[in-house]
Amino acid sequence: MAARIGEVIEASTGSFVAECYDLHSPPPLGSLVRTSDSEVDIFGVVCHASTESIDPGRRPVARGRDEHDEENIYRQHPQLSRLLRTTFETLAVGHRQGDNIYRYLPPRPPRVHGFVYLCEPDDVRRFTASLDFLTILLGAKEVTADEVISACLRLASCAYDDSRAFLVGAGKELAILLSSDLNRLNSVLRRIRQ
Amino acid sequence: MSLNLSHLAAQIDDMAESLKVEEKNWSACLDQALDTIQHQSLDPESLRRKIKDSRTTWLIAGITGQLDGRFTCPPCPPDFAVIATDGSHIGVDRHSPARCYLINIGSVMLRYGQQPDAVLHSQPTLYSNKEDLIIVDPRGSSELPIEGGLLGAKRAVAECLALAELGEELAPELPSTALVDGTLIMWGLAGHAYPEYVRTELLRNGFLQALDRIRDLGRRTGLALASYISLPRSTEVANTLRIALCPYDPPDCDRHCPRKSSSVERECDTVSGIRDRDIFHAILEPGDRSATFVSGSSIVQDYYADHEIRFFYLKVDNEIARVEFPCWVEDMGNLDLLHAMILDQCRRGHGYPVALSEAHEQAVLSGPDREQFRHLLELTLNEHRLPTGTSEKNRSKRTRWV
Repeated sequence: MAARIGEVIEASTGSFVAECYDLHSPPPLGSLVRTSDSEVDIFGVVCHASTESIDPGRRPVARGRDEHDEENIYRQHPQLSRLLRTTFETLAVGHRQGDNIYRYLPPRPPRVHGFVYLCEPDDVRRFTASLDFLTILLGAKEVTADEVISACLRLASCAYDDSRAFLVGAGKELAILLSSDLNRLNSVLRRIRQ
Repeated sequence: MSLNLSHLAAQIDDMAESLKVEEKNWSACLDQALDTIQHQSLDPESLRRKIKDSRTTWLIAGITGQLDGRFTCPPCPPDFAVIATDGSHIGVDRHSPARCYLINIGSVMLRYGQQPDAVLHSQPTLYSNKEDLIIVDPRGSSELPIEGGLLGAKRAVAECLALAELGEELAPELPSTALVDGTLIMWGLAGHAYPEYVRTELLRNGFLQALDRIRDLGRRTGLALASYISLPRSTEVANTLRIALCPYDPPDCDRHCPRKSSSVERECDTVSGIRDRDIFHAILEPGDRSATFVSGSSIVQDYYADHEIRFFYLKVDNEIARVEFPCWVEDMGNLDLLHAMILDQCRRGHGYPVALSEAHEQAVLSGPDREQFRHLLELTLNEHRLPTGTSEKNRSKRTRWV
């Protein structure tokens, strides 16, 4: 059973933002997550996460000068866990309709309040069986796009018995996609090297 | 147009000059007040008698112990909870097509110790029925709309009722304190501003019944109740010193010192301009509380019965706060608990009780909230094909043009 980690709070064609049920517990950068729009499962790759005040007008202040233990700050101020929230943003990289997986954008964005699940290794293997979705990540406007791609491939490789073979295959795919940008290719390859 | 600051700056400068002069006199008055309080503490019984016989034009605090008594803060229990409520409202808009008002109550429960927890909640309630909008004299001769001061009183009742409901959800064995912001004394209903049926509705059948619920809860669970006033302006203890300084016995202001002119000095004017907080700022060390005093306000004496309001002053690092509580809190032996929990709340909240500040955050209605409420109201009336017209004045304010 896939772990339910949060709920969509903002959705658009190419990305969605979800709020985590647990503070400070976003899925790791590059994780493959899943949500749905009625019959269509939408896959996304986590590209950003943040923890901040629920109220944009109230910034957290430092409270731990006299504390030896960070956790004690939360024990002494139990309201903090109700006033902060952790959110993460994902880039939509594909969808599943019935048994077919498509590694391009879904027809519609997910529903706001749609549940978000962290994909199980089975789902990760099925989705990354083809790396067509890398073009979406490579074209993303995020300044950390290369970090997201390499984190995504490193995490996905853990779902395979032969993770090295997966990464070598991914490296070859990247070499084709980034043939005109060797600096960028090297940068990503350095990050996925085990 | 923006505020004309260049015109204002000169006026502020003049004000600062006159404050400087007052400051010089103030120091002498404070010294006199401190001398008097120390002297009177030697014989509080004779001052108590003089107060009892006096006829004054000011509010006098009742004395229960030594005037300059001070108490250090006891430790908090290892596990405890603090609950608090605060309210905010949008009054009846006479330019609006629908007559209604909104009260938003923010509630907070903070639990400390082995199982720390927090519950933060807000509950808006719309009042639009005829019986919500007016208070009717049961004899049928008159009615008053719930607006202005009466809406403030209605909100105070709602805050207190929400506090009683919150208290009823607490674990009974847990030492707990219930807090509200401001005063427990319904000053707005005092005097002759409103007819008796208004006090019956809002005070007897509203606020005091909510206090009854909290007192009954306190008897079963030990829950204490208090209100917290930051930077209080009250002068009840300072006025008690005026009685001590009065050369007449019994003091009778109208008889002995009729005020024909403010330039005529009276003996007791040597402590004029002194507030209670000035006195206790000099007497108390950080964390200390003062002795307990009894409110002399007429509305408390006439209506509050066994909820007689008492108060003490608390020195929280840089500020003197006034803590008001019904007499049953002290009678149940919960004063130390109250002192410890309120000081602890202030220290966790950077000088102000954190439960109250969070309750305020839950309750507060911002400008955009008010605008959205108005918009939702108009939208819904439109959907129901009801008239949504407003006044030309309101329309002119909304669509500003040159």
